[in-house]
Amino acid sequence: MITVSFLLNGKKASVTSLPNRTLLDVLRENLGLTGAKDACGGEGECGACTVIMNGNPVNSCMIFIGQIEGTQITTIEGLMEKGEFHRLQKAFVEAGAVQCGFCTPGAILMAKALLDNNPHPTDHEIREGLSGNLCRCTGYNKMIDAIHLAEQGGLDD
Amino acid sequence: MTDRFLTVGKSLHRKDAWDKTSGKALYTADIPVENLRVGMIVRSPHHYARILDIDKKRSLEIPGVLAVLTSDDIPGDKVFGPLIPDQPSLARDVVRHLGEPVVLIIAETKRAAQEAANQIQVSYEPLGAVFDPVQAAQEDAPQLHQDGNVITALNIKDGDIEKGFQDADHILEDTYTLPRIHPGYMEPETSLAVWGEDQTITVWVSSQHPFTDQGFIAAALDLPVENVRVKSGVIGGAFGGKEDSSLSIMAALGAWAIKGAVRLVNTRRESFVAHPKRHPAQIHYKLGAMSDGTFTALKAEVHMDTGAYASYGPAVAAILTETLAGAYRIPNVQVENFVVYTNSPLSGAMRGFGSPQSHFAVESMVDSMAEEIGIDPVQIRRANILKVGEKMFTGVTLNETANALPICLDKAQEIMDRFRAVEVSPGKKAGVGMALAAQSMGLGANVPDDSTHRLEWAPDGKVLIHLGAPDLGQGLAMAVEQITAEALGLPYSQVESLPLDTLDRPNGNVTCASRMTYMAGNALIDASEKLIQDLLAHAAEILEVPAKMLVYKEGQIIKEDGTKLPVVEFLGRLAEKSITLTSESTFSFPYPEETTPQDLPIGMPHVLYCFGAQVARVEVDPDLGTVEVTHFAAIHDVGKVISQSGVEGQIEGGVATGLGYALYETMLRKDDQWVDSFTEYLLPTSKDLPTHYESIILEIPEASGPYGAKGIGEIPLVPTAPAVANAVKNAVGVRVKKLPITPERVLGFID
Repeated sequence: MITVSFLLNGKKASVTSLPNRTLLDVLRENLGLTGAKDACGGEGECGACTVIMNGNPVNSCMIFIGQIEGTQITTIEGLMEKGEFHRLQKAFVEAGAVQCGFCTPGAILMAKALLDNNPHPTDHEIREGLSGNLCRCTGYNKMIDAIHLAEQGGLDD
Repeated sequence: MTDRFLTVGKSLHRKDAWDKTSGKALYTADIPVENLRVGMIVRSPHHYARILDIDKKRSLEIPGVLAVLTSDDIPGDKVFGPLIPDQPSLARDVVRHLGEPVVLIIAETKRAAQEAANQIQVSYEPLGAVFDPVQAAQEDAPQLHQDGNVITALNIKDGDIEKGFQDADHILEDTYTLPRIHPGYMEPETSLAVWGEDQTITVWVSSQHPFTDQGFIAAALDLPVENVRVKSGVIGGAFGGKEDSSLSIMAALGAWAIKGAVRLVNTRRESFVAHPKRHPAQIHYKLGAMSDGTFTALKAEVHMDTGAYASYGPAVAAILTETLAGAYRIPNVQVENFVVYTNSPLSGAMRGFGSPQSHFAVESMVDSMAEEIGIDPVQIRRANILKVGEKMFTGVTLNETANALPICLDKAQEIMDRFRAVEVSPGKKAGVGMALAAQSMGLGANVPDDSTHRLEWAPDGKVLIHLGAPDLGQGLAMAVEQITAEALGLPYSQVESLPLDTLDRPNGNVTCASRMTYMAGNALIDASEKLIQDLLAHAAEILEVPAKMLVYKEGQIIKEDGTKLPVVEFLGRLAEKSITLTSESTFSFPYPEETTPQDLPIGMPHVLYCFGAQVARVEVDPDLGTVEVTHFAAIHDVGKVISQSGVEGQIEGGVATGLGYALYETMLRKDDQWVDSFTEYLLPTSKDLPTHYESIILEIPEASGPYGAKGIGEIPLVPTAPAVANAVKNAVGVRVKKLPITPERVLGFID
């Protein structure tokens, strides 16, 4: 067993676990944060488990817990601020970018990491940025619309 | 022009979207339960083998292992199936496909379950497997089931086939081959079961029809149906694939065995090999036409690979067969379709349900015929499309929605001209292609196709929809909320749809076949009218006036003198007397006797159709054979838009799935393994889809639809692959007859 401490959604967290478990396992099974999803069987192929680690988007199924010591992690549960939805959350709702919603948390976090690094991405840069997040429902168009809506500040926040 | 609708036709926020964007939505794998145990399935490593022995001893010795279950442990029915009960919940004596469930392990932890799975001793005697449906249909092939490998043999004739080909000036003949496709929902199959008191069980499912799961579970556990309560978790997509039991029987069996709580979640690899896929098919297609382009005859022979067990194979065959002439009038037809068992994973329902397969053949062939004769692809279609009142070869008479067909062609022509004018990228060859499509709605004649839903007017004024069918993620809840709000003249915010629970919801039947907005919408409009009548009767009693003196409008009761009284006042008075206003209504899919031929096999024909056309512009690299779809347009008649963003989302998502079918997806078998991960099975990503995209939505009212609406769930992916294939032919002169259109096929290296 190993114990790791890290900053989770702005608060100190500590987990003791077998070392062969992933960040995704720990989030879902130890911490009860089920917003990160597993759609590919933990193989890093779908992006549904995307979280932000030290400012970078990562597939949490590809991160062993030994790697998270001392990191800062943001999950979808930590995106709201003072009870207010994040502009990307509002934009996804507004643009009709949510259908079944299984890929949505991962896609929103990927989009957040994208906008944090590149506040006004082009269509092409958004398509590139989202290309690791599989979605079967939307054809991605409305997700791209949503990200533009958020980056252009077309929402009342 | 002012819109006469308050809510219908608008783009509104989906009410479930807030929970889904914040990680709060509970899918079946997320639902917290105390003392939850883990289920794991040991699956067949062979395509076809006899089971000689299963030794559980070493597995049972692993600490933390609670149960190791085989077919012998199932107290009730050991087999199930939506149409034919041919599928063992756990294999018995023989395994017929790789990945077939053999042993169910229940343990305290994933680790213990995995260890027990590693230690289980199953002895097999491998048998010679058969994969090709044409081969499997032969008498000398290994026979996988008692009654042989051919489950269904359809043979439908119309007119005089020999005369039809004699009348033809041109005859073309080709074979089209369609791959095995994963429905590709992001949420893998999962179920959670909790054993309760007095021989009861509650099971959460990700299912298109929880009432079917309820029946299967009750039969397997030998329980009365009422002891089984099935609830819907939030569903992470289904696309037809969750019409089959998605681990519900397994989770229930585990919970029953340990008298506790058990969850099962398929890994994506399990989902690939062990859950139904879109049918691979071989379609031999022969078309005759006169020199002016008029079609004279069609002869087709189809072999569908339904895999080891039937699933929905025979029903998929019906729609594949009925749509073999597409949207065209062909006077002389003979079509045969054989649904065949093989040692492949199961094939079953998937979005389009046979139409994507038939349309790849029809729409590729129509373009080939246009080229053969030397006329324009749109012109040949215009010469042959069905008109209102004309009969399809099945004998079905088309209603006025066929008016959409010429409009679809006009729009397609405009768009093709526009796409042809786009400048070609250096080093590439560009091509533009189109395809037309007809997609049926409904389950087919002579099968139960009813849908029941209930409304409740709560004392706070909110209207609750006891929706009898699950929202799969496509937005059914929003659509029925908009329809109900419209029917009652209430704001959208005041109407709320409740998730499915077999305990107290009516049976709305399975969410599938492009028809749930239509079915539930119609039922809820009727239920709204009943609810208003009931309200007025109660209000009249309270006000001591005759009911006919009162009028209901937009949440208010208006007295004869014009006084307006809010409905909540009456709801409150009724609540004091413990009266809750509810109404229930059943809508039955119409199969009018005069337009529905009765001489076809059960489940046929389908009588109501959706129409659409799609146009693709591709750029092909002539050296590499790679195909990029640069421009795409989808033209679809929806009758009446209920939710603008919902309809757009259905079309955009459908096209993406259609482009996956066209260019990328195929579940290949390499010797002893199937492609079973997203590493090799390529779903389209945001980078793969056309950057220029347009949806053109037509509204030609369907008289029987709610506010004129009909279905849009399936058709957006039906014409996509042939439109792309036709564009590739236009670009580089290569006719690809086998999907997906890979670079190797474009360059002619294979097939």
